[in-house]
Amino acid sequence: MSVLLRTSGLAKRFGGLAAVDDVSFEVQRGEIFAIIGPNGAGKTTLLNLISGLLVPTAGSVELEGRDLAGLGTAARCHRGLGRAFQVVQPFPEMTVRENVLVGAMFGKAGIGRAEAERRADEALAHVGLDRRADDDAEELTLMEEKRLEIARALATRPTVLLLDEVMAGLRPVEAREAVALVKRLRDEGLTIAFIEHVMPVVRDLADRVLVMNYGRVLTTGSYAEVTRDPRVVEAYLGADPEEATP
Amino acid sequence: MTRAASGRAFPWDAVGLIVLIAAAAVAPDVLRALFGRASVSYLSIVTNALSLAILALSWDMLARTGQLSLAHAAFYGAGAYTTALMLRHLELPMWLGIPAGGVVAVLFALLLGSMTLRLRAIYFAIATLAFAEVLKSIAHHAPTAFAGGNAGMNVAPLFRPAFVAGEMERWEVAFLRNEAYFYVYAGLLALTVLVSMALQRSRLRHAFTAIRTNEDVAGVMGVRPARMKLLAFMLSAAGVGMLGAVEAHRIGSVLPDQSFAVATTVLALVTPIFGGLYTTLGPIVGALGLSSVQELLRRVFDDGYLIGYGVVLVMTILFMPRGVVGSIGYAWRKRGSGPSRAAPSAAPGSDAAGAPTRAASDAPADDPRAEAGGDA
Repeated sequence: MSVLLRTSGLAKRFGGLAAVDDVSFEVQRGEIFAIIGPNGAGKTTLLNLISGLLVPTAGSVELEGRDLAGLGTAARCHRGLGRAFQVVQPFPEMTVRENVLVGAMFGKAGIGRAEAERRADEALAHVGLDRRADDDAEELTLMEEKRLEIARALATRPTVLLLDEVMAGLRPVEAREAVALVKRLRDEGLTIAFIEHVMPVVRDLADRVLVMNYGRVLTTGSYAEVTRDPRVVEAYLGADPEEATP
Repeated sequence: MTRAASGRAFPWDAVGLIVLIAAAAVAPDVLRALFGRASVSYLSIVTNALSLAILALSWDMLARTGQLSLAHAAFYGAGAYTTALMLRHLELPMWLGIPAGGVVAVLFALLLGSMTLRLRAIYFAIATLAFAEVLKSIAHHAPTAFAGGNAGMNVAPLFRPAFVAGEMERWEVAFLRNEAYFYVYAGLLALTVLVSMALQRSRLRHAFTAIRTNEDVAGVMGVRPARMKLLAFMLSAAGVGMLGAVEAHRIGSVLPDQSFAVATTVLALVTPIFGGLYTTLGPIVGALGLSSVQELLRRVFDDGYLIGYGVVLVMTILFMPRGVVGSIGYAWRKRGSGPSRAAPSAAPGSDAAGAPTRAASDAPADDPRAEAGGDA
């Protein structure tokens, strides 16, 4: 296995608050990497630093061995970083297909219209949204919006996909579908880093887990290892992590 | 359901453009045949409407990226002063002043656009307004020998039709002059419409809409917001710069307060809002509609007609928030697909569990508290 994504000493301070502090980790090619931690631990800020929405106070992000410093969100997307947001944010004035088409047309340079439409339809089929392709994006249900969020990221043809709490707000049946989708994506060669609160989902999906607390890395390891770690248990207010989920 | 195939759908926009061009080609002769001598003033009313349409459509092209500019008087004035300064200081063909006005406006747009890239909403609007006022101030205070100062500069007309005794009546000289200007404005509008249609048919339309809706998300999906916003700025300024140059010739002078008038900026934004934003047709309909309303009211009320004009504007914005074209288009789309679209809230998934997540603050917000709120 080779390292696909690496952060070294990554930090982000907002005034006096260190939202992310000296975070270093490596994601191997082809693995599913979970980022967990209590509310306010800095998980979303970490993803924002990786995808270029925030400029780090210190530290670096490398993708396939290349430093991404100074690159904006779009340039990082072109290099292969895909991102799905926690709060789903479709473009409401567009149809579902048009939403995905934006990612297909602009996610990689030099994609022709026909090829972009093919990639968009492929991404829609992948997440099972093909039947709603021509509907307005604002008509989708929450589950469908989450699928759209993933389809848009997939259409940019990423090498690593960053998912921010895709399971939040989903009912158990829907969450199981989403888990199956993520597994399928990995089997097709995608590397996935995801933030998740629902611990059974982390257990089912993650090859390795990074635990954050107060902006810092608490520990990294397999699901079994980190859930046995007394510091992790304490971070979740003394509760068993499996029961600390909303 | 036909919108998805818009790329292959019947080209209504192209047909509309051809009809408009044909109508413009015969308009002066038709007016002359119908109204005789009065056609002289009708022609200039129609030309004013075309001028408003160019201004409004250009403004709309920038607005499609979410940048609501209050700087369009700056581009208009830059074009006007460019042609006036060239006439005064350079021995060049007069017509060159029009493209030169466009080029100078584009350069100013590039300057302003790069300064305002990171500004959003009200901060962007204030910065653009200040930019226009700075240019006006420069026009006021530049050395009188160079740019005329407060008194401005005279600008020679583009057309001087000669009176031929015995072959035409006196008013026909004015008609020929107005007719020539009409065709210049119609040509400039056609050019602006072509640029707008090209934008709407290309992938840039999606990029612009994405940036307008959510710049952060657009960026993460590979759209380069800075590049797109600057491109929109330049395209928007080009037509307005040329318009300012042509208008300087038609009016016969440039003056700081007239060339950089806040009224230009206000019309540039009110007209697309009235007609319908983010389309090619909306700003044009807005310009023709507002010009007609204004002219009708002027004829009926003489003094104080602007009060009526204001009432019409306010009523339209209150009761047709999508603008004339937008409202008609919306009603048309709602027509065929009533029930399936009527109850999206009844769909599964948007239940109580989903609501708090959706109400949470924007994920990419530049604020650590956003995460805490979103995690809840």
